[in-house]
Amino acid sequence: MRRFVANTIWIAVGALLVFTTAVAQDQELAPVSDTYAIRNVTIFPSPGRRIEKGTIIIRNGLIDGVGENVPIPPTAIIIEGDSLFAYAAFIEGLSKTGVKTPGEDDHSRIEDPGNPPPHRAGINPQRDVRDYLDPNDPNIKELRCAGFGASQVVPRGILLPGSAAVILLGGKTPDEMVLKPRSACYSELTSNKTVYPSTVMAVLAKWRELYHQAELARDYAAIYATNATGLPRPETNRTLEAFYPVTTRQQPVLFRASKVLDVQRVLALQKELGFVLILGDVSEGWDITDMIKASGARVFLSLDIPEDPEEKKKSKKDSLENAELKALTKRRSEFIQKMTAQAAAFDSAGIKFGFSALDTKYSDLHKNLRSMVEAGLNPDAALAALTINAAEILGIDDRLGTIEKGKIANVALFSKPIFDKDAKVMTVFVDGALYTCTEKDAHKKTASTVEGTWRMTAQTPKEEIELKVVLRKSVGKHYSGTITGTRMPEGIELTDVTLDGKTLKFMYDVLLEGKPQEVVVEGDVEGKTFKGKITVGEYGNYPIEGTKDPER
Amino acid sequence: MKVLRWQIVIALLVTFPMAATAQPDVGDVLIRNGTLLTVTNGTLENTDLLIRKGKITAIGKNLTAPEGCRVIDATGLFVMPGIIDAHSHIALEAINEMSSPLTPEVRMCDALNPLDISIYRALAGGVTTIQTLHGSANAIGGQSVVMKLRYGTLNPTELIFEGAPRGIKFALGENPTRVHGAGHNMVPRTRMGVEFVIRSALTEAREYQKKWDEYNEQKMKRGFRGAPPEYDDRLETLAEILRGNIIVHCHSYRADEIVMIMKVCRDFGIKKLVLQHANEGFKVAPEIAAFGAMASVFSDAWAYKFEVYYSTAYNAAILTRNGVLTSINSDDPGVIRHLYHEASKTLKYGGLSRDEALALITINPAKQLGIDNRVGSLEVGKDGDVAIFRGHPLSIYTVPVMTIVDGIVRFDREKDPDDMRIYVDPEERFDQSGFEVPEGYHDCLGTATETFHQLFESH
Amino acid sequence: MNRFVLLVNAFLLLFVIPGEAQVPKGSYGPVALVGATAHTITDGIIENCTIILRDGKIEAIGSNVSAPADVRVIDCKGLHVYPGFIDGGTRLGLTEIGSEPRTLDYNEVGNVVPQMRALTAVNPNSALIPVTRVNGVTTVLAAPSGGMLSGTAALINLHGYTPDQMYAGFEGVVLTFPSTSREGPNDKRKPEEISKAAAKAMKKLNEVWQKAIEYNKLDSALGDNKPDYYPELIALQPVIQGTMPLIIEVNGAGDILSALEWVREKEIARVILSGVREGWRVAGKIAEAGIPVITGKVLTLPDRAYDRYDRAYANPGLMRKAGVTVALRTNEAYNVRNLPYNAGVAAAHGLGKEEALRAITIVPAQIFGVADRLGSLETGKDATLFVCDGDPLEPATNIKYLFIKGWDIPLVSRQTLLYDEFLHREPGLQTHD
Repeated sequence: MRRFVANTIWIAVGALLVFTTAVAQDQELAPVSDTYAIRNVTIFPSPGRRIEKGTIIIRNGLIDGVGENVPIPPTAIIIEGDSLFAYAAFIEGLSKTGVKTPGEDDHSRIEDPGNPPPHRAGINPQRDVRDYLDPNDPNIKELRCAGFGASQVVPRGILLPGSAAVILLGGKTPDEMVLKPRSACYSELTSNKTVYPSTVMAVLAKWRELYHQAELARDYAAIYATNATGLPRPETNRTLEAFYPVTTRQQPVLFRASKVLDVQRVLALQKELGFVLILGDVSEGWDITDMIKASGARVFLSLDIPEDPEEKKKSKKDSLENAELKALTKRRSEFIQKMTAQAAAFDSAGIKFGFSALDTKYSDLHKNLRSMVEAGLNPDAALAALTINAAEILGIDDRLGTIEKGKIANVALFSKPIFDKDAKVMTVFVDGALYTCTEKDAHKKTASTVEGTWRMTAQTPKEEIELKVVLRKSVGKHYSGTITGTRMPEGIELTDVTLDGKTLKFMYDVLLEGKPQEVVVEGDVEGKTFKGKITVGEYGNYPIEGTKDPER
Repeated sequence: MKVLRWQIVIALLVTFPMAATAQPDVGDVLIRNGTLLTVTNGTLENTDLLIRKGKITAIGKNLTAPEGCRVIDATGLFVMPGIIDAHSHIALEAINEMSSPLTPEVRMCDALNPLDISIYRALAGGVTTIQTLHGSANAIGGQSVVMKLRYGTLNPTELIFEGAPRGIKFALGENPTRVHGAGHNMVPRTRMGVEFVIRSALTEAREYQKKWDEYNEQKMKRGFRGAPPEYDDRLETLAEILRGNIIVHCHSYRADEIVMIMKVCRDFGIKKLVLQHANEGFKVAPEIAAFGAMASVFSDAWAYKFEVYYSTAYNAAILTRNGVLTSINSDDPGVIRHLYHEASKTLKYGGLSRDEALALITINPAKQLGIDNRVGSLEVGKDGDVAIFRGHPLSIYTVPVMTIVDGIVRFDREKDPDDMRIYVDPEERFDQSGFEVPEGYHDCLGTATETFHQLFESH
Repeated sequence: MNRFVLLVNAFLLLFVIPGEAQVPKGSYGPVALVGATAHTITDGIIENCTIILRDGKIEAIGSNVSAPADVRVIDCKGLHVYPGFIDGGTRLGLTEIGSEPRTLDYNEVGNVVPQMRALTAVNPNSALIPVTRVNGVTTVLAAPSGGMLSGTAALINLHGYTPDQMYAGFEGVVLTFPSTSREGPNDKRKPEEISKAAAKAMKKLNEVWQKAIEYNKLDSALGDNKPDYYPELIALQPVIQGTMPLIIEVNGAGDILSALEWVREKEIARVILSGVREGWRVAGKIAEAGIPVITGKVLTLPDRAYDRYDRAYANPGLMRKAGVTVALRTNEAYNVRNLPYNAGVAAAHGLGKEEALRAITIVPAQIFGVADRLGSLETGKDATLFVCDGDPLEPATNIKYLFIKGWDIPLVSRQTLLYDEFLHREPGLQTHD
């Protein structure tokens, strides 16, 4: 099914050369010195502590000094911090930023969906995210410029896509990025809907079976290793081998579970089998904090909060009585409020937690954090979750999480204290390297124009597909345009192009297998970059990004 | 070696479903002056029923309410045991693991959804206990859950009926042959294949059992060094059926396949068999009675498939008159809300008495699920699961007014607000309405076939 | 085997008919039902009533009517007589086995096919028909569905060997109004997509309607010279001209309002709304428009998760209270026999017993314009009625006699025959080996 879909996407979307360099980081000249001194800056070395007009010395990738009167080495590049606020760069607990989609080479027909090859069913715990790291992923920069310096990344894919690693959000090669390999065995309750296991109960049954088989295999391997004489040779099974450290509790399982039922399912599984559990991307946990606390599981809460649409206008076709509509809207708002106050609930329950921005638009991160604080989350608790608590959960608190001498130099410099509405990340240090995020005088709001030529890349499970989109101004908010690719060189006229604020959306129709399908591309424009989703009829959606050609 | 043995023990133990360690909420209620339809002890007029800590402690006249006990005035109302639906698929996030015709290792308790509004709606129809099952796409499907409708909890384990015997779903006939045979060219495509698939699975389980028994015996001996057999949860579960620890609920329609499954059970020593639907059960009622199998049937559903074309609404009556313990089920989230009406049809189709008709939805399904020591009738010592009606439940004009589970009022027609959802969808819109569940959807497979074909067409 | 046993077996065979055989045929001739309680529907309840059926009609009805000498007398003391029940929307006759497409004749290919006549496709020998009528349902609307303009529905009596013999005097064009609701549990489209599809369908509908109006003008202008053959538009002419109603299948509240507006805009003379599951939300508007409603089935789930659990049961009652004319339907094929029970549940949830009974007798007869012959016990109407031993809305009640246009229909169906054969099966349990 996936091969079929991927092929049709290929046909539909076409391919064209893309300026990959436009997507990569700008070529930068190497810095003159690896020593920096940020002076006169307000420092928050750890939650609850504040140093006015302090100095931070960074040397050789580490924090060499932090305090009120710290001597500045002569080789240091000085950064004036008098209008800045320094925090330990944030740590994300569960992320897929910087991770490529594994290319599936095997698209052969599966004869028996009840007994598929494990890799088609998503059973790939032996995979290592390090093999898929992409230092050039533009999302890394975006995450960094939201104040993050490190994250635990996991392979893309369903069910058991492989082991996670903690990476620093900077570096030119994958190995340069990796801070802690094999930090967890990652798992999701997602599945391939066409083969076993496809439903949640089968996924959990399979999980259990793999675990037990791994235990037995591990024990037998141990016996065989001491004295193999006369014993049948054990089969090598790399899938089960990948589970061994989970069964011995040496490696935790990082389990993604967002909704309240999935979280409980994972907790029940953990109770039954006994592995070490870290819950990731939890969004509906406020009513089960007792259960989570009792389990001892560590938690990364989701940073995603849904919008609360205010139904101000009642359309004339709306047949709901006012009283009923009011009651329903109220319930929905209350629920969203509960989601926003989730972190505060965890804090009150005394559960140490970090955050994950897996499903969140990075441009919403700060807004969401502010909402959480407004909903009752103690700001220091929020900061701790973003920094030292996340570090402790990941077992890297000796090296990250606070601004302390000897720790890795991951520092984020904000224009205002972090929960301030206008706070922007100006500069971020990752591993002692400086990254600029906001130009000092880039406060003017330039109306983003979308007319012009866009080079876009869509990420499907099989490969990347490249497109060229030419947009022309039309009437009011409307634009028109054409899209071309190698499979559609004549170009297809876009049926509907709208720009709403910074959201650009356009659509066009293609014929797939004789049936017309609508393709929708929607995403955000930031200056000359575009990032969003491409949806092909009922086949699903994939990420798509692009950049605009410079004007002539 | 010692370590290994513990692994096996644990491996064997964990094939049992998660024991519900969560203690359910229980309450106190005094129901006063109602007409009690006890089912096992006739009709008692102007009688009180007292529930304390979730158990019926007294039935009689002029009972006194203990301190702080809620009192319900049932004057002019009918009080019956909470209705039991032995065949449902509500409260599940997924119903069919359709990828393989044999999936006994999956457990429906893993897919439980306590937030399903269907639970509340069933309460509003007087239902207090159900068995929620795997669907009928597979010859051998997953393990079911017997649960109480304790609506309001977020914790799936709180729904589970503590101590209820385990159950598993088998399915014969058109559904598995359509899904696997026609859908993906896998055995079974015919009823011949269905029998083969079940027999070979049970035979393999027998051999698996033997291998592990041998290994466990050998392990005890001094100086034993050997590899354990492969651990297979599927065969483990089938072995449990052979050991008599799991009731087989077999979805079946045609007379010949009913006879077939009874033969298979006899050959493998499986005694606990409940035929589900059994639309043609009436054609082999003597055989079913002789085997000792029980039947859980529709009131009058027929003609939506060929294997139910030669059905009759008199099925339940014929089976009952021929000595087969029969219940009426819904297999549908809409029908579950008026099982009392479905049962009343047997007054017409076969002339069952009122108590016989009520038994079809109370004590009989309780026996089929092995929980009749706890529920299914109004008797002192049983659970405080009660449904109160305005009008006799078997009259078309009846209206359920209150449903009590473990002594807690979980449905109250007067007091409950319209919107009874526990969690809401934060992205919901309110200008869009739903749809009517189409006819025939109740057949454990419903529209699953279409989805399956969509998914597999591309292979 | 001795001759006696042979004779007995032969005799028994007369009664024990295998399930596949047709049911026994009806008998025709004048009949007097004597001493019954007659529920006339339009003229109250007559105790100790005698009803004379002759030549397919009710010749006389009253407590002082006496049975003529030549007439077959049926003693109805302690029994009740009702007009045959009418189901305002079914697929009966157009469906045999749901999973076998070759037996389904209600959904033709094409989005705009009003010319597909259900009457042509009705199977008079469907096994489902006897099963239905033994419960007192004598007359049903056989309706096409699917697409937008699905075809022309027909009212049929459940007796006859050809569709024309069954025809009960009404046909109507069926329109499934463009819907902004989800189609089913597997409809995972986003609300915007659904709205878009509905808008597209609306556009198409208006195009077709415009063409139909133009065609009608052309046709009347040309007089004897007919315009080119355009079957879809020809089928719509009676609706445009106001001689045939448009039956609009519409369920969502917003969609009902849209449909009412559309009907007003297009000035369609005769309209019936069908389905109307969320009619309770907009009952006032429907009553204002003066358009009758056929709704059901009643024994179904509410549309929205936040709806009160009994909305579907209460829907007919709520609409009736607002002044809407309400008839009931099962929207089924296999279990149209449950129409009376749908009425009973609606009665218990706000419609009331009297209105519920009217909703399956005189009201649908009026809506379909056949109240001159169906829907009540009145002199001159068809002898289409049944005799039972209690309230026919109660499942415990048994039908004793059934007449359709004067034909005495045996209360035998495949299901009763199976009961006869298998209650005490011969041979019973036989063990070989």
